[in-house]
Amino acid sequence: MTEPSDLERYPTLTEDGRRMLERLREHRHAPTFRNESGNRLSAEDVETVRAFEREVAHAVVTDQREEASPWLAEFLARVYREVPFYRAMGGAPRRLSDAPSVGRADLAQDIARFVPDSVPVERLINFRTSGTTGHPLLIASHPVVAASYLAFHRRALLRFGVTLRASRGDVGVVLLGYQRKCFTYVSVTPTLDEAGLVKLNLFPEDWRDPQDRRKYLEDLAPEVLAGDPISFVELLKLGVALRPRALLSTSMTLLPALRRELEECFACPVVDLYSLNEAGPIAVFDATSGGHVLLQHRLLVEILDATGNPVSRGQRGEITLTGGFNFCLPLVRYRTGDFASLELRHAEPVLIGLEGRAPVRFRSQRGEWLNNIEVTHALQPFGLRQFQLHQGADGALVLRVSGLGSEQAAVRAAVLDLFGADQALVVEELSSSEGKLRQFTSELAP
Amino acid sequence: MDREGCELSRLTRRISETPLEFLEEPRLGKHGTVAVSAVVGDLCRSYGFDPGPAALAAFATGTPKSDRNRLRVSLVMTWILGEAWFRTADLRNAPLLPLLLSGASELSEHVAVEKLLSDPERREELARFCLARLGFRPQGETRAQAEDRLTSLSAAERARVLRAAREAEARARAVREALARKAAEESADKYTRE
Repeated sequence: MTEPSDLERYPTLTEDGRRMLERLREHRHAPTFRNESGNRLSAEDVETVRAFEREVAHAVVTDQREEASPWLAEFLARVYREVPFYRAMGGAPRRLSDAPSVGRADLAQDIARFVPDSVPVERLINFRTSGTTGHPLLIASHPVVAASYLAFHRRALLRFGVTLRASRGDVGVVLLGYQRKCFTYVSVTPTLDEAGLVKLNLFPEDWRDPQDRRKYLEDLAPEVLAGDPISFVELLKLGVALRPRALLSTSMTLLPALRRELEECFACPVVDLYSLNEAGPIAVFDATSGGHVLLQHRLLVEILDATGNPVSRGQRGEITLTGGFNFCLPLVRYRTGDFASLELRHAEPVLIGLEGRAPVRFRSQRGEWLNNIEVTHALQPFGLRQFQLHQGADGALVLRVSGLGSEQAAVRAAVLDLFGADQALVVEELSSSEGKLRQFTSELAP
Repeated sequence: MDREGCELSRLTRRISETPLEFLEEPRLGKHGTVAVSAVVGDLCRSYGFDPGPAALAAFATGTPKSDRNRLRVSLVMTWILGEAWFRTADLRNAPLLPLLLSGASELSEHVAVEKLLSDPERREELARFCLARLGFRPQGETRAQAEDRLTSLSAAERARVLRAAREAEARARAVREALARKAAEESADKYTRE
């Protein structure tokens, strides 16, 4: 395989941008950067992304009814004409509800059949998703799509009064990971006048000295820190003196206690995004709306029941997506594997009670089946940063909690109260460094 | 094609006037709106025989991903067979069910129902196909003429479909290769990662 050149990685790089890359890479406290990447944006792409950011900034996200989505008919016609998987089914259906839903397994089988004929292959890139649901996925994407995420981040941040200001000479964002193996690199963002972008791993093995983590971050003073709850817990342990303007959290449920801790530590909004590799940033949590407010104006969100039919407004079901801004992977009724209800709050569509994965049911000692949301409610009073519950084939439970401390006995009592006094239960400390956390798992099936 | 049928134009005109109801989604499980098995059953009974539930089950089974086009072609055929001329023809011993089942399946593998209606050559092919499978040739044509024309229409379409399939496979291979390249693996900047 040929190594891409810097010109391919940063086609519009200026002398200032080159100096930023040098600073990020050669800083005396810098970690080992294990990979190379870049923005890959041509001057024309940069203009396309800027125009998209303007469009997103002013767009109205409608109430998610099919008839309130004027783009939908043309979208379906194009998908059924240009996408091999859909073309094989004949012409476009007249109603979205007449299209079959698809899931991760369909995409995993052969992603090539979901890429429209009109997309040139030369600039395709891929994003890999974790296999926590049993189907690791390779997502087809494009540098313009990746850069377009920022349009939705800006929209989400604006809800919390934050407008990005990072520019030439600043570091715009540090993306934090905490995993044994992590894709790490440096780059610059052309739409922010080549502000720096760093993706790093807080895992100590990636650093010459563990103390360098704090020193490097403090010297970079990024405008935004992005990560997941696991990496943010590690960040808190470092005791860094940073004043970012916002934290962006993705990938996993951000529990209220960790959010509060982060807000207090960094004195800035902690913005919890519901984002998928398959569709980009979908929604942002806003406590004043009581859930995750939808962000994309050309993405129709349906909530489907187990048989693929839409549920009544306000009922829980599987979040299912049509449309999106990834022109390499247009989605038609894509079942995400995530669950919520959809309501209109202050004229905005909001996902209520979003649970990051399919509901998991646990068997109580009395033989009842309990939904994972009941476990969430039972543990809510403890303000846990993170927890994970697993039920083995023999019915025994293992509850792993991050920062368990002195509350172990009370947490244990709450779980036994829910499951029954004689329930087999081990409560232990959670120390996850293996990537995405799957919060609820069970070897028992109802 | 031993028997002379109606003028071809009567059928092609009827095809181009297919009502939207006959283009609704076939019901498969809880999906779709039109019960194709019921429409086929009504049609058969109107021609004097009852196909029975076992024969009709094939019009209600399958998945939208694999059987949608087949059932939509069956549905359009039921519309064509409602043409007044067929009412005057003796169809009691004609292979009506095989036309609606295996005939529709055969056509649906090569062409989407929308194209059967919108493309003049495909309309002609569909009209001739229906007549031929029921043992008729278009009015004013010899058996040889009718066979030649249907073969040439079908062969041209199948050749086009084969070409398109080869191109689609080459394209899918190119996409897979492009996604596996080092450059694609390196990805591109996003402000957050999932």
